[in-house]
Amino acid sequence: MKSTILIYIFLLQLFACAGVALVPASAETIMSEVQRTKGTHAVLLNVWATSCAPCVAEFPAIVELGENNSKLHVLFVSTDFPEYEKRVKQFLQQNGVAGKSFIKSQKDQAFINGLHPDWSGALPFTILFAKNSGDVVDYWEGEQPEIRFKTAIERAINL
Amino acid sequence: MKKKSILTLILIFSSLFSKELELGSMLPMGDHRLLDIGGKYLSLNEARDENGLLVIFSCNTCPWVIRWEDRYVTLTEQFASKGVGVIAVNSNESNFNSVDNLEEMRKHAKENSYNFPYVQDFGSRLAREFGATRTPHIFLFNDENTLVYRGAIDDNARDARKVEEPYLANAIEAMLSGKPIAVASTKALGCGIKFK
Repeated sequence: MKSTILIYIFLLQLFACAGVALVPASAETIMSEVQRTKGTHAVLLNVWATSCAPCVAEFPAIVELGENNSKLHVLFVSTDFPEYEKRVKQFLQQNGVAGKSFIKSQKDQAFINGLHPDWSGALPFTILFAKNSGDVVDYWEGEQPEIRFKTAIERAINL
Repeated sequence: MKKKSILTLILIFSSLFSKELELGSMLPMGDHRLLDIGGKYLSLNEARDENGLLVIFSCNTCPWVIRWEDRYVTLTEQFASKGVGVIAVNSNESNFNSVDNLEEMRKHAKENSYNFPYVQDFGSRLAREFGATRTPHIFLFNDENTLVYRGAIDDNARDARKVEEPYLANAIEAMLSGKPIAVASTKALGCGIKFK
């Protein structure tokens, strides 16, 4: 009985993260993914970490913005150290993020400048890309009120 | 119209945060007094030594600080005797009543064998003046109080043994030798400074 329960718990843990694809990526890979939905979706790229309190605080609201907007694709990029991959997957799964998500696998300097040259490296970091042109519509470091997100998303969807 | 006003306010708000101090700038707020964990007030000009000053914006809990702070200590061991003053500055105003309070800073400094002053930056004034955005964020001034290096400690927070480019150590060595600093501005990840 005990071994059955243990096997059950093990399988549950295994399948808990099954829906989340966490892909190690450079800035170049991430930007290619962003451009892939040009023409069909605006993209909100959010760079975060499980150990970053403001990142974690704003995370559920960002997920919700993506769910409520069929023309917006939300892409999360974790900057957690690789040994925390399991923790990242669990967090993504707990917050209802299925599908592809990225985890940084490049040195800081190239990663930061590859995503945006004006980014200083402070977390969290958010960029909005326009639906039709794929151009950057807005970007910011740190927390911002929801109105900033909504205004930027609206612009991105219409450009 | 309402949306436009809100956007304008957001843009004004964003612009209140200064851009990162430019290379060649003079040390800002040199005489501004900051409370040290020892209970005394200390200014940047008092922390500097004859050959320069290293300012490290830091805090108690950021994972990037936790990984890099061993190098705060080793760099101080290496360069304090060569006349480079070092000071760590905590500008996380919104955490001064919690994880970044003075007692926590004192404990953190002791646990990590800090061999340099660690001060509280009330109002995050120094951080705003420097354009510091994250922890850790490094600013190196020479013997003429001029900024000669800014940004990251090195290229590997995770493992000191796997550092390939010790940016800051190289910059200090070059500065002390009177040679040009080959890589004077770098970037690294870090926790956003908790302005109020």
